[in-house]
Order: sequence, then C-alpha cells, then structure tokens
Amino acid sequence: MHYQTAASWGGYVTTVVVGDPMERIERMASENAVVIFSISTCCMCHAIKRLFCGMGVNPTVYELDEDPRGKEMERALMRLLGCSSVLPVVFIGGKLIGTMDRVMACHINGTLVPLLKEAGALWL
Amino acid sequence: MTSFWEKAREWSDELCMATHRMGETGLSESGPSTSSHHAPYGVLHGISSPSSSLINQGSSYYFGGLEEAILQGVKIRNEEAKASLFAGKPAATLEMFPSWPMRFQHTQREIQGGSKSGGESTDSGSGLNTISSKTEAQFEPESESPISKKASCTDYQAFDQQQKQRLQQLEQEMASDASRCQTQNQNESAAKPFQAKRKGGGSTSDRQLDPKTMRRLAQNREAARKSRLRKKAYVQQLESSRVKLSQLEQELQRARSQGLLIGCGGTSTANNISSAIFDIEYGRWLEEDQRHMEELRRSLEAAVPDNELRVMVESYLRHYDEVFELKGVAAKSDVFHVMNGMWTTPAERCFFWIAGFRPSDLIGMLVQQLEPVTEQQIVGMYGLRQSTQQAEEALTQGLDQLQHSLLHTVVGGLTVDGVHQMFLAMTKLSDLEDFIRQADNLRQQTLHQLCRLLTVRQAAKCFLVIGEYYGRLRALSSLWASRPRESLINDETCHQIATNMPIVHQSSQNHFSTF
Repeated sequence: MHYQTAASWGGYVTTVVVGDPMERIERMASENAVVIFSISTCCMCHAIKRLFCGMGVNPTVYELDEDPRGKEMERALMRLLGCSSVLPVVFIGGKLIGTMDRVMACHINGTLVPLLKEAGALWL
Repeated sequence: MTSFWEKAREWSDELCMATHRMGETGLSESGPSTSSHHAPYGVLHGISSPSSSLINQGSSYYFGGLEEAILQGVKIRNEEAKASLFAGKPAATLEMFPSWPMRFQHTQREIQGGSKSGGESTDSGSGLNTISSKTEAQFEPESESPISKKASCTDYQAFDQQQKQRLQQLEQEMASDASRCQTQNQNESAAKPFQAKRKGGGSTSDRQLDPKTMRRLAQNREAARKSRLRKKAYVQQLESSRVKLSQLEQELQRARSQGLLIGCGGTSTANNISSAIFDIEYGRWLEEDQRHMEELRRSLEAAVPDNELRVMVESYLRHYDEVFELKGVAAKSDVFHVMNGMWTTPAERCFFWIAGFRPSDLIGMLVQQLEPVTEQQIVGMYGLRQSTQQAEEALTQGLDQLQHSLLHTVVGGLTVDGVHQMFLAMTKLSDLEDFIRQADNLRQQTLHQLCRLLTVRQAAKCFLVIGEYYGRLRALSSLWASRPRESLINDETCHQIATNMPIVHQSSQNHFSTF
C-alpha cells in the first residue's frame, strides 16, 4: 500500500531503491535471458537490437516510451548508471551489463558471448 | 671531364626525381637515365631554369669551345687546329649535339692550345651570359645574322634557339659540302660563320655520307629539336605550377592557423574556430604519430628488450586514445566537420567509415602481417574480426535508421509548420554525435584488444603497419593532387620523345662508324 502511494506521488521521493520503478526493472530484467530497455524512435537502440539479432540472440525489448511508467523507469536507470543518456540498456541473465559503450567493449574483448551462453541466450 | 659527366648524371637523376614527385610524366621515361649518351642531351634541353650552374658549366664547356671556334673560324688558318677539330672525329655537325660534350671540352682545350687568339674566356661562372654577349658582340655587325636577334635575351630559351639555328645551318652546309670549295664558302655571308669555319677546316674527304642519309639525319634532328622544345615548355609549366601550389599551401596554412578558414560555408564562427582548432590539434597528433613510429621502428631494429617495447606500445595506445578524445570533443561542437572527414586527406576519406577507419578492415590487414604467430592468436584475431564486423554492421544499420528518420522528419515538415519538425530534426542530428562516439569507441576497443591478443613485438609491428598504411594513403593523396593535368605531354608526344632519342643516337653511331 505504501508502496503504491509512493508511486502515486510520481516517482522517487526517497533514495532507497525499493521504489517501484527499480524493482519493476529488476523484475523485468530477470524474466528473460537478454532484456533491452529502449526507446522506439532511438536509432542507437535500433543499432543494439540489430547487434544482438545479428549474433543470433533473441532479446526481449521493452520500449519505455510506450510504457505508461516508462519515464520513471528511465529516470531510475539514469540514477543507477549515473549518466544522462542511458538508453539503450542491456541486462543479461538478470545482471546489468550497461549501455551501448559497455556492450561494445564486452563484445570486442570477447566476454559478451560467454555471458550470453551462460544465460542460455546462445547455443553453439 | 669525368666530373662533368658525373654532374650531368646527378642532375638528370634529380630531374627524374623532381618529375616523379610532380607525378609520372613521359619525361622521366624518355629522359636521361636510359643511357649515358642521352643524359646530358635530355638534361641540357629539358631544364628551364637558367640558374642552374650545371647548365652554365655544361654549356660553357660545350658552347664555349665551339663559340671560340666559330668566332675565330675566320682567323684560324692553322691547319693543325682545324685538323684537331675534325680529324679522327665524327662529323662536325654531331659536335653540335650536347650528348657529346666531352668532345667539345676536348676540342675547346685543343683550340685554345692550338690557336693564337685566346681572348675569350669560357669560365663556367657566366656561361650563358658570356656566350650571349659574345654572340652579340661578334654578330652584331653582321645584320643578317638571325642569331643576333636572340643575343639580346640572355635566358636559356634564346640560347637554345641559337643552337637550333646553328644546327640548321650546319645541316644545310653538310648537304652541300662536297660541292663547295674552301674560299668560296669563306667569302659567303658572314652571317654564317659556321660555314666559314667548316669550310676552312672541313676537308671533303671526311664526308662520306650520301645525301639520303643526310636528309634522314636532318629530319631526325628536326624532330628531336621539336620534341626538345615541347619538353622544355612542359617542364617550365610544371615548375610554375609547383611554385603556385606551394604558395597556395602556405596561404592555406596561414588562414587555418588564424582560424579564418570558412569550412563548409554558412556555419557560425564558433563552429569554424573549433573545427580549425581540431584541425590544428590533429596536425600535431600526426606529427606525434610520426615520432612514435620512428621510435618503434628503431627499437624493433635494435631489438630492445620486451619491457621497454611494452612501454612504447602502451604509449602508442594512449596516443590513439588521445585522437579519439579529440574527435569526441570536436564532434560536440561541430559534428558535420568530424563526420565529413575534411580534416583528413582525400584518399583516407575515401575509405572512411563513420569518421574513421573500419576496424574489421584493419584487423584483416594486420592478420597477414604477423609473422611468427600461434594458433591461439590466429583464432583470437579472427574472432576479433568477426565481432568487429558484427558491431560495425549494427552501427551502420543504426546510422541508416537515423538517416531515414531524419529524412522523414524534414520531409514531414514541408507542408506543415516547419518549426516543430526542425526541432525534431535537430535532436536527431545530435544522435549523429553519439554514433561517432560509438564508432570511435569501437576503434579504441579494437586496438586495446589487439594489444591483449598479441605479443609486444607483434603489437609493435602492427602499429608500424597501421602507421605506414596511413602514411601511404596520405602520400597517395598528395601525389594525386599534384599530377599533371594538361595534355602538353600526352601519349603521342611521349612516344615521340622516346623514339627520337634512339634514332638520333643511331645516326650518331652511323657517323662514328664511317670514321
């Protein structure tokens, strides 16, 4: 109940990450092997989707601009990562990987594929 | 004599290199380096700059002696002198050919030794001027002399003209040699001192050439003369355009350093300044790159220990990190400037992928350059190439999407109120900066991963290969920019130059064989 009232006040009031958006994010992130939070019109998000599809992974994509509570979640993610342009954001196996920067770096240094395999998103 | 020959050859090599630098032309092919006989031939007639001391030296040797002979032709009664000039030597006409300057030098000395009058000096210091003024002094009284008209101009062109005139006279003379007697020719027009001299010294017994050969030779000479003139004109044009080019470059440099350069036109001053600053800093980065490369090259050759090499490789990595950072800063203020690559050379720009090199291409190039390489490394390299390819594909598609949506946004605003659409378009353009940043990030990660996969020595070699590759692209750009565009020397004339030379040489040989 308190939970929901806090939500009706329009987002974060406290710094405790027990608030709605973050939890929702975590919940959504752990439901699937690869989860991407994106914006439908953002081209970088399009790029990251193409990257995973190109590798043969089938990611679960949540378009935050189409979600009624998307704005909150976006702000939560901004706080989590500490940067202003936070989308797209990728979770693999429930763990936060990061934005495009990090995903690229992981892919180049060869750590992305093992992670994907571990999470069961890739079979080869 | 040997020193002159060496100098002529050196000089012809320089000419070859200069024309090579300007871009390939027919000059260098048909030019002096092909055979020793042709060296001074091409050299003396291909160079337009009269300031070259070698020309002066050469011509003074060559023409000095001959001039003396001409001027004193009438005075020379000494059979010895004449004999030394002609006896046991090729036909006098051929002594006009600069390809045989040694003989003239020889001749000059003999004449000086043999003749009584020795007033004229043939010092190399004032070769051309001396000759021209001598000509002037000597021939002025003879009003009919075509040479005297040219004598007032002391530059090489006129000088060459004189020589052509003399050649023609000689040719005429040789054709009718047998029929003339000595005194008759001596009394002929004083404007033709050659003939006088020749008749004075030329005994008909030395001429064993039939008229047909003579005609052919004359024609060859004519053709050679024409091609020499063309060549000279072309070289002059090259020289002037080279000067102009360097002037333009200097102006450009000055304008850039003052931040006055208007980039793509229509942009604000602030953008120009930051772009100009980026250009300057990139220039500095390039110089630093050269230094790194030199250091690496020396260290590899000297086979320094691995830990020292590692330090160098790491500093080179940081050097690359710097340029990515520079680009990032520049992209924030002027994304178009970074994106369109006007800060690089045309050849580099040609192979651009999102404002820089394509990492997978680089890996592909480097894979072939690693000599002692383990299987694990090969696997790692190919894996790296694959992942960079996937990342590039993703970014490319993202960029395409950006373009389409931008187009859609701008078009969408045509019939509707444009302000909102323009605002949308602006936000999309700011995404462009993101793509440049991601592309640079990809490049940076690729280079770092490369260093992780390879040994220090291999990594050092890779950096050298990369640097060399870009150096060549830059060189290609400047070569292309300075290639000759006029058709003054086209294929046909090149061919002519190339074929005339051996013909002339051949005719000279024929002459030799008869003596």
